[in-house]
Amino acid sequence: MASHRVGETGLSDSGPSHHHHHHQHMPYSVLPAYNPPNTGFINQESSSFNFGELEEAIVLQGYKINNDENKLPLYTTVPRPAATLDMFPSWPIRVHQTPRGSNSSTDSGSAVNVAIASKPEAHCHTEPESPISSNSRKTLSEQQLQQQQQHQEIFRQQLQHLQIPEQLEMESEGGSPVTTGGSSHSQQTPKPFSEKRKGIGSTSERTLDAKTLRRLAQNREAARKSRLRKKAYVQQLESSRIRLTQLEQDLQRARSQGLFMCGGAGGGNLSPSAAMFDMEYARWLNEDQRHMAELRKGLQSHLSDSDLRVIVDSFVAHYDEIFRLKSVVAKSDVFHLFTGMWATPAERCFLWMGGFRPSELIKMLAIQLDPLTEQQVVGIYSLQQSSQQTEEALTQGLDQLHQSLVDTIASGSVNDGVHHMAVAVGKLTNLEGFVHQADNLRRMTLHRLHRILTVRQAAKCFLVISEYYGRLRALSNLWASRPREAVMSDENSCQTTTDLQMVQSSQIQFSNFG
Amino acid sequence: MQYQAAPTTESWITPTTPYYYNYNYMPLPHNKHYSIVVNNDPLEKVAKLVSQSAVVIFSLSSCCMCHAVKSLFSGMGVNPTVYELDEEPVRGKEIEKALVRLMGSSMSVPVVFIGGKLVGSMDRVMGSHINGTLVPLLKKAGALWL
Repeated sequence: MASHRVGETGLSDSGPSHHHHHHQHMPYSVLPAYNPPNTGFINQESSSFNFGELEEAIVLQGYKINNDENKLPLYTTVPRPAATLDMFPSWPIRVHQTPRGSNSSTDSGSAVNVAIASKPEAHCHTEPESPISSNSRKTLSEQQLQQQQQHQEIFRQQLQHLQIPEQLEMESEGGSPVTTGGSSHSQQTPKPFSEKRKGIGSTSERTLDAKTLRRLAQNREAARKSRLRKKAYVQQLESSRIRLTQLEQDLQRARSQGLFMCGGAGGGNLSPSAAMFDMEYARWLNEDQRHMAELRKGLQSHLSDSDLRVIVDSFVAHYDEIFRLKSVVAKSDVFHLFTGMWATPAERCFLWMGGFRPSELIKMLAIQLDPLTEQQVVGIYSLQQSSQQTEEALTQGLDQLHQSLVDTIASGSVNDGVHHMAVAVGKLTNLEGFVHQADNLRRMTLHRLHRILTVRQAAKCFLVISEYYGRLRALSNLWASRPREAVMSDENSCQTTTDLQMVQSSQIQFSNFG
Repeated sequence: MQYQAAPTTESWITPTTPYYYNYNYMPLPHNKHYSIVVNNDPLEKVAKLVSQSAVVIFSLSSCCMCHAVKSLFSGMGVNPTVYELDEEPVRGKEIEKALVRLMGSSMSVPVVFIGGKLVGSMDRVMGSHINGTLVPLLKKAGALWL
């Protein structure tokens, strides 16, 4: 203590310069876990820094540390005093201010301090490293030693108050620190460390006293615990990463199966058969494109009639396929088919019994297929008429079904409610029959067209049909993606130009019907 | 042997028609060939019935597909003879069963006979109409003029 006071007075004598130095070194006390780059042995260490072993190595082997105190920060902050408090018992601090060997333990201590500071884990930061045996630092000047001692005191005082004040007055600390030994039973960690630095200064190079041993053991323990914690955390991360990829895969699968969206319809309500139908319909649309391209190519390249016939027949079979698919889904989910949830909104708007209206199609075709013989004209006209009559009949049948359903549901009394609902459910099964007949009508109309027309005309006809529905679907998309004016009610002209621009710039290629 | 038609069945066969369908009875020339009636066999009954009208539809009053068929014919200007099988307490069920056997499907009605010959259920009728064969058939049976 006497020496310490001597030191102090010495310091106080060299006030301003010391102030300067002190201010230079001040910031480290407020630095959180600063990692100084220029300590050699830190860089040699791996990230899993084992302080316990390091300490032992240093103690036992007499590690030589460069003395770069001027550049090194001496102090680290106390990140979590509470955590580390558990690991270190309270030490009675005995301060031995022997400048013995002038290799101050402070130097080595500071260096190791720095080393500890380099490790990011909080609880290891402030481990007192210091049983660095005094390696001879003959190069230290007395003033530097005094400075460092002073810094230790400052640091200890800070920790004592669990504060890190912005500025420290060297002189103000005059009295307190050395006596911290006695007062610091509620130890904050760096205290023992700073104290131990002095303690090391007092021990000889190779002596390991009981305190040192205990501290080493504790450090080892702490290091091991932190390693285990880190391993556990990493394992947890790995397992959750695996779980995440699995979840993503499941979501992807579910989305492809059950949430197939047609025109932005709510995907969550699809039954599995409906979802499957939607998927198959999408595939059918792709097939449609392919057939169309083939037909177009066949027409343009002026294939022979027999070749063209093959293509046209395949086209008819392609349409038969979709009717077959529809009949399959009608058995399990007739509402999906009937309400047209599989079609685009524009198609859905003009839907008739779950599909297109044959008489309308024929009307449209009659205009497009202009060079027709008299007989063909008669045939097509009669076809249009008969399909119209059939459509009427089916519509009336459906109306009657609707009426009887309304009666059944409305007339259910309180007592008889369940029975009436059962009857209503029974009546709903007729819906499948209607959709089936409507699809039959469509199929037979297409077949009849195929028979009335010549091969070349039939090819053109089917091309027109596919193109027409393709355009109708495109209309849906255009409508959905049109710019909706929120505020510009008075700028109608702007709106139309935007529409035009949008249509022009759209990627949809409309080929001529012919 | 020749059997006379029993009076009970005779009343049922009365052409002034049952219900809200005012279908006229169209006498067929070849009707007179069918003079043998065996009351037990429903198919024979059916045969007898269908021979007596140009267009015969067996239906159920509650069936809406039957309604569609009826609308189709009336829309074409044909007046079919309709037999509502659920309205006839005695023979209705038997004929229904016989029709199921005849058609080979679970739907007994509607069944259409034109000119005494079986045409079939709704899809067959529709198919023949789209094919353009229905109208000539009707004309041949005398159910349609022009």
